[in-house]
Amino acid sequence: MKQTVQLREIQERMKPGVITRDGFLGTDRRNLIDILQEDDAEIKRRNLTHRGIAERMMQLREAGKRGLGEFISVSPYFEVRVDSVRGKLPCPFKHPGLIRKTNVIVRNLEKNREITYTDMHIHMIGEHGFYEGKGSAFRLEVKDLVEVLEIIPLEE
Amino acid sequence: MAALPQLLIGIGAISAVTTVLAIIMVIADATIANYGEVTVKINDDKEVTVTGGRPLLSSLMEEKIFIPSACGGRGSCGLCKVKLTSDVGDYLPTELPWISDEERTQNIRLSCQLKVKKDIAIQIPEELFNVKEYVTEVADVIDLTYDIKQVMLRLVEPKDIKYKAGQYIQFQVPEYELTSESVYRAYSMSSQPSRNNEVELEIRLVPNGICTTYVFEHLKVGDQVTINGPYGDFHLRDTEVRALFIAGGSGMAPIKSMLYDMLEKGINRECIYFFGARSARDLFLVKEMRELEKKLPNFTFVPALSQPLPEDDWKGETGLITEVLDRHVKSGENTEAYLCGSPGMIDASVAVLTKKGIPEEKIFYDKFA
Repeated sequence: MKQTVQLREIQERMKPGVITRDGFLGTDRRNLIDILQEDDAEIKRRNLTHRGIAERMMQLREAGKRGLGEFISVSPYFEVRVDSVRGKLPCPFKHPGLIRKTNVIVRNLEKNREITYTDMHIHMIGEHGFYEGKGSAFRLEVKDLVEVLEIIPLEE
Repeated sequence: MAALPQLLIGIGAISAVTTVLAIIMVIADATIANYGEVTVKINDDKEVTVTGGRPLLSSLMEEKIFIPSACGGRGSCGLCKVKLTSDVGDYLPTELPWISDEERTQNIRLSCQLKVKKDIAIQIPEELFNVKEYVTEVADVIDLTYDIKQVMLRLVEPKDIKYKAGQYIQFQVPEYELTSESVYRAYSMSSQPSRNNEVELEIRLVPNGICTTYVFEHLKVGDQVTINGPYGDFHLRDTEVRALFIAGGSGMAPIKSMLYDMLEKGINRECIYFFGARSARDLFLVKEMRELEKKLPNFTFVPALSQPLPEDDWKGETGLITEVLDRHVKSGENTEAYLCGSPGMIDASVAVLTKKGIPEEKIFYDKFA
């Protein structure tokens, strides 16, 4: 599929210094459409949906909020901490409104692994299937999300 | 076939015109868009001359006038608001999400987004003239917990600072692998105002955080650090009513500053400090707070663990800090509260406190977000 004018504009907004200091693309030089398509293919191969992944991220965030800024145990063997820093950011895909700078840290004690994500990730994954470009400090790998958050594939 | 050469000529002509226009725009940007020097009149009194075309926030900063900003001028924190008393044109789309209808009627603008292209007049709080930039040297870095460090900065130039207990400074992070330009982050001072030749901070690690990663992985004794401040309206009010302090994590900093300030000033009003942590390894400065209890006759320290571990052998309060608060505070009569911590903790605590009858205007907080 070709990169549309709209996606080109969105990709410009993702560059360093436009919305965030370091942008959303990291060292990825591909067109946004190619980044989206590669992650979408990975999601389909695993029989998942972007929305389903975002919902799991939200579910753990909501459970973690009960810790009031400290880590809290979440059944069966997770620890979650939800905290915020001052400020809000607009969605690079031009969704209206602003997204709070909330960090969610999820520890999977069974696997001894940890992942950190933000409200912006939840929005971009759920609404746009975007996990950030390769080399971005905030890039989330589908594989890591699935393994650490224990996301279950859809029924065949 | 005869159409092909004409098509190629057409494409060539369009390309040539586009190239010429691009060159004209570059030249125009360098010449016509040169706004020269412009003046910023402040509070109908002071006047500074700045280079035109640059954001108001950074222009003022170069003149050593510091407007609070937590995002380094990216337009993502909404803090750096100033009132314009002269016309500067319409609001930019990047300002609008931060400006309320009432602020629009008052011509409040976001100084990091507003470029100064002509002479303008602004109004800022007088106390911002007391904000200075300080060159400091790291005197000490101590681990308070596994994810909170205490950083002591000795002032080099100027050599002393005046502030109210509870206020914050902005810490300048230099360029390093996580940032290609210097950025500022806000931290409350945990030292009390009498220690006017040093500034003590308590900094909690934020994953991928530009400043906290710098502090945890690079900052060492002897390093030079630039800060500016003081800022903020979070300070102990001059009343005689009971004070409740509520904090978690690095929210300890401004409360500690207030308590030591009370001790030094002989303020003996009743006060209770509720400090929430998850388990014993997240608690810190307990010994210091217990010592303070002996010196401040009406002070009680109530640390609480939400999920103590068996090995903690914890005999103190358990539960979320809001649950502990709910158990301890029977009535909010003649009480005011001072809160510092995560937005979730603040919101939940405010709900408990108002339920107890403390009016919202008597609840003061330093929300991290």
